[in-house]
Amino acid sequence: MMKFSRRTFLVSLAELFTVFLGLFGFRSSAKGADSDVYTGTPFIGKTRANQFQEFYVNYWKPFLRVDGERWTLRIHGLCKKPQTLTLNQLKAFPQKTQSSRLKCVECWSAKAEWTGFHFSELDQMVAPLPEAKGIVFRCADEYLEAGLREDLLQPRTLMAYAMNGKPLSDGHGFPLRVIMPFKYGYKNPKAILEIEYVKEPPYGTWSKIGPYSADGTILPGYDHPLDQGKKTRKIYGGEIRY
Amino acid sequence: MVAILISLNSLETALASEMIEIPAGPFQEGVPNEEGLKTIELGHFSIDRFEVTNQEFANWNKNHSSHPETEAHPATQVTWQEANDYCIAHNKRLPSSNEWEKAARGLDGRIYPWGNKKLKKKAHPFHSGIVKRKVGLNKKDVSYFGVRDMASSVWEWTATDREDKKIIRGGLWNHHLDYEYGKTFDIALAAPERRFIFLGFRCAR
Repeated sequence: MMKFSRRTFLVSLAELFTVFLGLFGFRSSAKGADSDVYTGTPFIGKTRANQFQEFYVNYWKPFLRVDGERWTLRIHGLCKKPQTLTLNQLKAFPQKTQSSRLKCVECWSAKAEWTGFHFSELDQMVAPLPEAKGIVFRCADEYLEAGLREDLLQPRTLMAYAMNGKPLSDGHGFPLRVIMPFKYGYKNPKAILEIEYVKEPPYGTWSKIGPYSADGTILPGYDHPLDQGKKTRKIYGGEIRY
Repeated sequence: MVAILISLNSLETALASEMIEIPAGPFQEGVPNEEGLKTIELGHFSIDRFEVTNQEFANWNKNHSSHPETEAHPATQVTWQEANDYCIAHNKRLPSSNEWEKAARGLDGRIYPWGNKKLKKKAHPFHSGIVKRKVGLNKKDVSYFGVRDMASSVWEWTATDREDKKIIRGGLWNHHLDYEYGKTFDIALAAPERRFIFLGFRCAR
């Protein structure tokens, strides 16, 4: 018999509520260019509405917006000094800003300026054990993604808390997300709650159930950049730097 | 039984290191468009029939790691320098981009190594784009000269520079999880220091 935890129950309620809003055309009072089906509700989820046509938003499941005041990042697993950090503590790390393109395996891509800190800051703080080769991210939308520690330590990988000079919006992963511009978007988890050091990275949510590689490296292929009118272009694999 | 296994292993090794002779002479190079193909003259050379495998590369570079049971898969995650050094250590070299194209395209300017028609079989059965098969498994992917896996396997380093990168040849194109076979004239570029899961190599002489 299926057991419902309090969290599962709340998320299910959220999903039902969102479907209800969508089906019956309810919209919040905050109408305008910024509104979508979640605007004015406590929930957030996948959307292509209005402003998000310039930078699509994907989430695994609708979820209750993260409260930045109460949010903490838990880092644990195969490390000597597990930590629980607040957003302000993360913002105290040396700041790094980079412009990079997020390429979705669905074909579209979009570019932004991301600000945050390098993963090595967290890595040094928790002192990982030698056998810890993998990193697991658990997110507010119940999404799980994982990667090699060496990929997280690449110079172009960023732990981002701001986008285009503003704090991350709920849609783009508030309060903290990964930016790995050489991997498809599904390897860039958002709204992170927890980081765990493990021996080997397990399959993430999409690679486990879908046709996506666990590695997630951007392959030579085609791109349809949203900021360039979705005009088809060929890309050569790895980070798209234009 | 042991003797048979040893001889089978020797046969596999021999096949893996086999080279195909490409005769001197002209071939048709470039993208088939209104400008037409260019005739390029090349001297005689040989090229590996198959891509270098994980087992072969690991025999030379003890630090090369790959998943168990992928010994016969093409070696990837290899920098241009490592690929070049491997070839030199085996008294070979990386092929130039033109040599690679002639070996794939033959003398009749064909679009795919096997001819001008797409194969009915999908370019990639796993939809992940990551090659998970032994070299030479696709029996249809055979070039004019008999070189294997030049359109349906990993991309391959060449010796040729373009801009500040190296020309790479012959791999799949991802079109929203629907993979296209590489065409004989397709070119992509990669920074020589990069390692990619989709990029391997073969040698020439």
